[in-house]
Amino acid sequence: MSRRFAARGQVAIVGYAHSDVWRHAPRPLGALAVDTAREAIADAGLKPDDVDGFVTAPLFPTAGAHAVEDGVSTVTAQWLAEHLGVTPAYTSGFSGIGQLPGALGLAVGALSSGAADYVLLHRALHNPPGRYHGNPLREAAGSAQWTAPQGFFGPLPMIALPYNEYLQRYGASQEAMAAVVTEARKNGARIPWSYWRDKPLGAEEYLAAPMISDPIRRFDCDLPVDGVAAFVLTSAERARDLPHRPVHIAGIATAAPPRRRLPLHWPLDDIMAAGTGLAGRLWEAAGIGPGEVDLPQLYDGFSPFVYFWLEALGLCPVGEAHRFVQDGRIDSDRPDGLPVLSGGGAIGNGRMHGVPQMLECYLQLSGRAGPRQRERATVGVACQSSPHFGGAVVYTTEPA
Amino acid sequence: MTAQPRTTEGQPTRPLPVPDAVSSGYWEAAAGGVLTVARCGRCRAHAIPPGQVCPSCGSTDPGYGFEPVSGRGLVRSWTVVRQAFLPGFSADVPFVLVDVELAEQPELRMIGRLLDGPAAPGLRLGAQVTAAFEDVAAGVAVPAFQLADASGRPGEAS
Repeated sequence: MSRRFAARGQVAIVGYAHSDVWRHAPRPLGALAVDTAREAIADAGLKPDDVDGFVTAPLFPTAGAHAVEDGVSTVTAQWLAEHLGVTPAYTSGFSGIGQLPGALGLAVGALSSGAADYVLLHRALHNPPGRYHGNPLREAAGSAQWTAPQGFFGPLPMIALPYNEYLQRYGASQEAMAAVVTEARKNGARIPWSYWRDKPLGAEEYLAAPMISDPIRRFDCDLPVDGVAAFVLTSAERARDLPHRPVHIAGIATAAPPRRRLPLHWPLDDIMAAGTGLAGRLWEAAGIGPGEVDLPQLYDGFSPFVYFWLEALGLCPVGEAHRFVQDGRIDSDRPDGLPVLSGGGAIGNGRMHGVPQMLECYLQLSGRAGPRQRERATVGVACQSSPHFGGAVVYTTEPA
Repeated sequence: MTAQPRTTEGQPTRPLPVPDAVSSGYWEAAAGGVLTVARCGRCRAHAIPPGQVCPSCGSTDPGYGFEPVSGRGLVRSWTVVRQAFLPGFSADVPFVLVDVELAEQPELRMIGRLLDGPAAPGLRLGAQVTAAFEDVAAGVAVPAFQLADASGRPGEAS
């Protein structure tokens, strides 16, 4: 059975907006979301009443004990529609990991089924007061009893274990990762709304920063922030009448469940097995291969994900990513560089959870990337989360 | 080897396990210094963690029993934790977590503290380890590991 994406080229992004990114925003997250949504709708040449579909992925990705409050620490599709004062025909929230590919799947479904004509997709991220992942847990019940009593907790050891497994297995140096992190921060420093605007990072500074969970250093991690991004989507047919060049969705793939493990136990082989499965489905859905991608925007919530995605997508051989990223080969300023982090990624913007990857695909393919516009950008891929838990989307300039 | 808790008077204690209907046998055995792993009562495969459905045979009524294992395994990865996100670990950082593949079954992996510490010279992929325990409260021991020689005996590093 063919897994070609039946909605290929039928749905397009037609506008966007991005709030400033703060460590802690001066106003509540919900108010930022309303402003950003209004701006995105206007950018698409529409009015709030035109928008009849709202989707998001409302996950608040903390291991801490922070309260989840709609409009404060997260913003659901329903909350946003209500506060925009519109009555949508369709609202939905994706609850899995790989939030943007998942939410985009909901948007494509709503538009191609006719449940909605114009969909606003947003993502609102919050950085609560106090430590992001700090947790006063005293009793480890349920699944936590197998991990918390020995101090295995939260996403830092989660990513440190497969990263060290990678370093040890392939004889990679910790210094090699500086090429990834400095590339993200170089590009993020040029993004007007980035938390790291005008703050590039040198390799020496990257390596001098403290270890948090060896071999994960401080700047291998994205910084928790307050920020909102919104995109407007509609059918390819309606998109023709709107002001900006549409960017079409050519395929979506999400990870199949990996082998059952302890919570947050992510062995390298699990990541690669499920990740290569995801990649195979992505290429089959979109009808293209990795060699045809001009703009592979790789997820970098933790820097080792860039290695894992490079290898899972087949952009370099398994075990070679640590060498592939050297010598300017991922430098987006070089015409022959593979621009894997040209949008700055999460490390260069702040913890916007897949937004920088999706937005860079949109901006480049719609010709709206400004000074960093690439000469050739017709096929983009936006990845989110780990290859074995997240998802990826292929974008194209042409509908088919 | 058994490590004593290093938390001092007035400091918060580490999160303590809450045994339940499935896991009580595991924690009882651990308190006696014996590492056990859940085994499916239908297909006899080991499972970490023991979930609702056996990952090997698909039984929704796996009737897990915790059976002693050798405690021997191989290091598949490790990390040195330098920031504590849970209470009770501040005095312990930096500490080592090891991802261990137990000898009983391929890919049967669990994560524990390596009691030899961050500077243990023998820590590498494929290093042999054996089970150890940390006494964290009266009658509560948490399984951990220590480096071992090829015969599975605790090595010089401990």
